[in-house]
Amino acid sequence: MSTTLQPPLLDVRDFSLEFRTRSGTVRALEAINLQLRKGEIVGLVGESGSGKSVLSYAMLGISDRAAKVTSGSAVFGGMDLLQADEPTLATLRGREISMIFQSPRTALNPIRPVGRQIQDVLRRHAAVSSAASADLGRNLRERAVQALREVAIADPESRINAYPFEMSGGMCQRVMIALALACRPSLLVADEPTTGLDVTTQAAVMDLITALARERQMATLFITHDLALAADYCDRIVVMHAGHAVESAPKGALFANPRHPYTARLMTSTPGPSSRIDGLVPVPGNLPDLRRADLPACRFAERCDRVSDRCLGERPLLDAAAPHSVACWHPLGQPQPVATPEPVHG
Amino acid sequence: MAEPLLQVERLHKRFPVAGKKGALLHAVDDVSLTIHAGESVGLVGESGCGKSTLVRLLARLLDPTEGRIVFDGQDLAALPAAGFARLPQRAAIQMVFQDPTDSLNPRFTARETIREPLHLLTPLRGAQADARVDEVAMQVGLPLALLQRFPHQLSGGQKARVGIARALGVSPRLLILDEPTAALDVSVQAVVLQLLQRLRSELRLSYLFVSHDLNVVRLLTDRVAVMYLGKLVEQSESEALFRAPRHPYTQALVSSIPGQGPRIRLVGEVASPVNPSPHVCRFHGRCPQGEDRCGREAPLLQQRGLQGAHLVACHFAS
Repeated sequence: MSTTLQPPLLDVRDFSLEFRTRSGTVRALEAINLQLRKGEIVGLVGESGSGKSVLSYAMLGISDRAAKVTSGSAVFGGMDLLQADEPTLATLRGREISMIFQSPRTALNPIRPVGRQIQDVLRRHAAVSSAASADLGRNLRERAVQALREVAIADPESRINAYPFEMSGGMCQRVMIALALACRPSLLVADEPTTGLDVTTQAAVMDLITALARERQMATLFITHDLALAADYCDRIVVMHAGHAVESAPKGALFANPRHPYTARLMTSTPGPSSRIDGLVPVPGNLPDLRRADLPACRFAERCDRVSDRCLGERPLLDAAAPHSVACWHPLGQPQPVATPEPVHG
Repeated sequence: MAEPLLQVERLHKRFPVAGKKGALLHAVDDVSLTIHAGESVGLVGESGCGKSTLVRLLARLLDPTEGRIVFDGQDLAALPAAGFARLPQRAAIQMVFQDPTDSLNPRFTARETIREPLHLLTPLRGAQADARVDEVAMQVGLPLALLQRFPHQLSGGQKARVGIARALGVSPRLLILDEPTAALDVSVQAVVLQLLQRLRSELRLSYLFVSHDLNVVRLLTDRVAVMYLGKLVEQSESEALFRAPRHPYTQALVSSIPGQGPRIRLVGEVASPVNPSPHVCRFHGRCPQGEDRCGREAPLLQQRGLQGAHLVACHFAS
């Protein structure tokens, strides 16, 4: 049945990355498998320090200089992003692959009007030769206004002259989205796009991102620590723990039948609309120090109540192509038949 | 019900706007609120709605423009904020701040951080003060071996415990918790929430719990006050408020909690808090139900419905 599926837009295989620091080598990502199809919204969920942001930065080639890729590939449109040189990545970034950063106030340039910042992206990727420069200027301005209008900013003609400090947090995040989507990318990486926003603003921003993603058939990697939020907006959820992807499933299957002990614990520790305070069960222990030489093969082993000798010596892997896959030797529950994840169209 | 511990009566705070003569920003506008002994009250609302100003007024870090803050029978609003830090009432109202990293002195060990308020507000010195530090550290589940560490040597959950221990050392009666778990991961958050719940019953504390996260507020409070643009728009028992919110703003807020079906979408921007008209409902223009009357007559916070104390400031609330 998988033969009828279109090939993934982004195919990450066996991807490992480490940071060489003075206090030792941090093995931040280890053998990550992840696939994203056109039009699909995938949630990458995990606690801070699980490697979500490191993974997304690596996709854009904006990793820290101490980062070193030690294995694997990330094929996007037939090209391996991990092998691509900087000029190639620079033409991809902002045009084919875009990113919405975590705190819009710090990610936007504080001393440049927001319209200018959108025009900067457009100019960088525009076909300059086709139009006279005067026309191009007017054209860019119009497209910047249009970009602001698409993210539902009222009165975009005058707002393009506003500086970030003149706008509310929600408005800045809309500008950030307009900036990321200005060139109509085919892959969007949204790194905690609503952290620090109010629930009402959060809902408005997420509605906007997902509506534009659906409309344009854009693949979206949505990074969050909030499982409930991911459940509302994603087609599929990948759970990360300490640099490993531990479970990948369509959201319905994940919530109905969480199979990795970490996923299950994450769910019981999150307050929901009907949970009680004594009903919250925290995840025991802390994330292991990723500099350790004696890390267990399964990095959840030391926090897990189902641990066996096998977990310490042999690493369970995720099958990125399977509909519901779990990286665990002793998963919870039983495998359930899962409908092939079909991205929602239109 | 128990006697009121804190009674806020018609509290106002207006800030002058720089560069505009006569322009006043109404950050807190005619707010009345009661917290009983042993009660936990939640305060929710969007950023910019005046939550933090209200909290700073109650913690006496700011002077109110008008109104009374009666704590245990005494009007604190009459005492100047500048000298409040040395008064015995300071010990009775303590605060736990939002970000455990930013609110700890990076050059103080955990022990020094927890001991500092004891020196300022209690007669405890030397070994006695250290014994008290050990005592509260154990109450909040902070291993004594960690007391000699600096903030950067502690995890997020441990730093949160230090912040709570610092507030508890001087035996407060009211604890103001300003987003105490916003910076923590869910697994750590669950532990801290359970700790707060246990401390409240063990030490018979009252809480004013400020948070964005409505699911967390519901877990930890008996009553909730909803604030919008400087005014309280709804006040009720927590379960009732989350089950059947009556103010259109609260309805939108509750419907925005992730993981529960259709949302009420608010259109438009929040009105300006500078010199707002006293005759217009603050939610007018953004409200899905707004009518002409809302633009002519601001609704008062009044009892609606038959059961319990459910206050709503809306012309259309049943």
